[in-house]
Amino acid sequence: MTAVLRARGVTKSFGGAAALKGVDLDLYPGEVHALMGMNGAGKSTLVQVLSGVHQADAGTLEIDGQEQHGLSVRRARRLGISSVPQRRELAMGLSVAENILLGDLPTRGRAVRWKAVREEARTALAALGIAIDVERAAGSLTVAEQTMVEVAREVRRGGRVLILDEPTACLSAKDADRIRALVRTLRDEGVAVVYISHYIDEVMAVADRLTVLRDGAVVTSAPAAELDDAALVRAMVGRDVVSTRPERPAPKDEVGLSVRGLSQGRAIRDFTVEVRRGEIVAVLGPAGDAQSRLFDLLSGRQRPERGELRVDGRAVPFGRVPASLASGLRCVTGDRRALGLVPGMSLDENLMLAEDRFARRRLHRRGGLARRAAPLRHSYGVRALAGNPPVSALSGGNQQKVLLGKWLETSPAACFLEDPTNGVDIAAMADIHTLLDDLASRGVPVLLASSSAEEVMRLADRVVVVSAGRTVAEHDITAITRDELVATALGGQPQ
Amino acid sequence: MSVKTLTDAPGVSDPPEEPRSRFTPGRVRDLPHAGLVAVLVLVVVFTAVQSETFATDRNIVNILSQVSVNAVLAAGLTLLMTAGGMDFSMGSNVAVTAAVSAKLLADGRPTGYAVVVALLLGTAIGLVNGLVVTFTKVAPFVVTLASATLLDGVALLVHDGSTISIGTRMFALGNDKVLGVPYLLIVAVLVLIATALVMRFTVFGRDAFAIGGNEHVARLSGIDVTARKLTLYGLTGTLSGLAGLMLLSRLGSSSPGGTAGLSLQLAVVAAVVIGGTSLAGGHGTVIGTALGLVLLGVVANALNLLDFSSNYQPVSVGAVLLVAAVANEMHKARQGSARH
Repeated sequence: MTAVLRARGVTKSFGGAAALKGVDLDLYPGEVHALMGMNGAGKSTLVQVLSGVHQADAGTLEIDGQEQHGLSVRRARRLGISSVPQRRELAMGLSVAENILLGDLPTRGRAVRWKAVREEARTALAALGIAIDVERAAGSLTVAEQTMVEVAREVRRGGRVLILDEPTACLSAKDADRIRALVRTLRDEGVAVVYISHYIDEVMAVADRLTVLRDGAVVTSAPAAELDDAALVRAMVGRDVVSTRPERPAPKDEVGLSVRGLSQGRAIRDFTVEVRRGEIVAVLGPAGDAQSRLFDLLSGRQRPERGELRVDGRAVPFGRVPASLASGLRCVTGDRRALGLVPGMSLDENLMLAEDRFARRRLHRRGGLARRAAPLRHSYGVRALAGNPPVSALSGGNQQKVLLGKWLETSPAACFLEDPTNGVDIAAMADIHTLLDDLASRGVPVLLASSSAEEVMRLADRVVVVSAGRTVAEHDITAITRDELVATALGGQPQ
Repeated sequence: MSVKTLTDAPGVSDPPEEPRSRFTPGRVRDLPHAGLVAVLVLVVVFTAVQSETFATDRNIVNILSQVSVNAVLAAGLTLLMTAGGMDFSMGSNVAVTAAVSAKLLADGRPTGYAVVVALLLGTAIGLVNGLVVTFTKVAPFVVTLASATLLDGVALLVHDGSTISIGTRMFALGNDKVLGVPYLLIVAVLVLIATALVMRFTVFGRDAFAIGGNEHVARLSGIDVTARKLTLYGLTGTLSGLAGLMLLSRLGSSSPGGTAGLSLQLAVVAAVVIGGTSLAGGHGTVIGTALGLVLLGVVANALNLLDFSSNYQPVSVGAVLLVAAVANEMHKARQGSARH
């Protein structure tokens, strides 16, 4: 059998940080190839190279035995490589039928033949065994149905290599089953499926071949039958991270931050946690699970249906940002682009944005601002090439440090952090870990939402594991090994 | 790898010393508002060559005082648009406040009374816009377009079909000069300077940038976004009231379907956009707005001096707006590519 896509020695770095180091990958028609790895292992970069979003710095890419240079998204599409990203990309106002045939509507003269549109869309869905009314608006579909419609669209366009990025994230068990059934249908139709997922049991159930990436390199690539859960976990977690766990002073006895019975719809159900002063408690779950809702609820952006929040014993009302800030709770978002920084504003101004408001300053002088920001820049290791550029011109790691500096220097009574090392390189990651150690050593209770077991092992004193909105386990970090934690977090299904 | 050896080669990595002035043409193009200044200079030089009267003190003062009313409105709009807001009703607010204060003055009320009523009325109209924008999710564009149309109608109702003359009341504000500079121009320049100072040196002004740049971040950072927006809409209303008084004092009367209204607003929006203030918020400068105002004023004056029909007026405003908007976008793209 010949590979439809063959990658050899693919290397890619971003601003000095190597994201992929000589990756080999073969994709065969009629095979589900699972791509696994921890956050930042290089899965998305690899996928982006394959689908033409990024060009590899070195290495070759062959499609049907033909070497491709400077592959663009458009060209990759034409060659039959398409990807369904985590964020669904349907035109929500249009019908399912229109979405499936978008860009290729059957016409007579210049007029759209609506009957043909519906029929072709029905055929496309039926071929994959999908039962969705083609006249519904895309916006009214569930996330699982949207994924199915996208898959049908790509297959109809002649997709022979289909990349699915965490297609079952945030889905109920039933919907996830439907997606997995669809993946098997695709395989039987002769499509080469690249399947990215964090759930080990799911991958073992659906994949024919597994490739595990770690730190941008392939650790294992083997048929699924030759691997078991334990071997997979070992391959994913692998060697020690650069940053090692230091001795922190023992947490104090008094509880600094407590959350009780927090519930919002199906996303988060009856979530309870107590964090002592000087303690770091991690909430670990797959990306997009309950821990990702905590930011909106704790920061006051959204009001939960039920629940209670206390900082230093005082109740904090939900649903109001000023109340959350006044309690001394500092919430650091994991989405710095949308909720963390003002991109067009300068580095210094972003760094001091919150502190200057808390201090009720009225006047703004650049000189004074630079003087106040300088020690923060220094202690948080923010490096800018020249002076005081717009924060959007900084690297991801530096932006993340600006975000942390902005919040952690406002004398927090308690801190909530969401994926604080999201999208930063190894060096910046180690720096950020040290910053959080310092924060806890100062006696601040820290709640950490994470989807990375490595980070939890490195930082936390205790870990709460969530899955499908529920708490499934709670451990002292000394009472659990990294492999056990990964297995609980990735394989743990709610009872 | 061959690229590496090239840059490592002696003499290539060090750029040659540049003994001459640092202001090469390339640098000039990177200055803020470079395109706008270039267009302005071009129009000025062309008109000055074609017409002898253009470059006289008298004509220049004339141009500047003609844009004074627009300048007061544009200053407020620059601040509001920087914060991601929009107000299409300022020109109509001017029509209403001018009509109401004309009526008060014509009825023999004291000037101070009319002034206070005009400012309060303008502020109230702005606040209503602000309340609707902040407490419903309707886009400011839609809200203020609706109130603009509504207020234009209210102005017609106040006039009841007839022009209201105020005789010589407030004549000094509209027509007198200090050291050759009209009062109206002084007011306009003061408002522009005050706005520039607020935007650059106060936390209130920086809040506007933060709200326009990313409203979520602004709110999460402890900025009272609702209060700030209400203040900004109220402020544009106050400035509209002031502009109404200025217009009334210059014309000496208020007439139905006069110079104020939506058409005045469109000229103001044009000036602000020409000045490079972002419609999406997060970016804006008073200097750019001032340049935009002067450019529109100069073009109108040039058409007048060169004996074009006044029907070319809207054509010129439209053309200048289009050229400037394209120039701004190209400038932005240049800066963007230079950064990465």
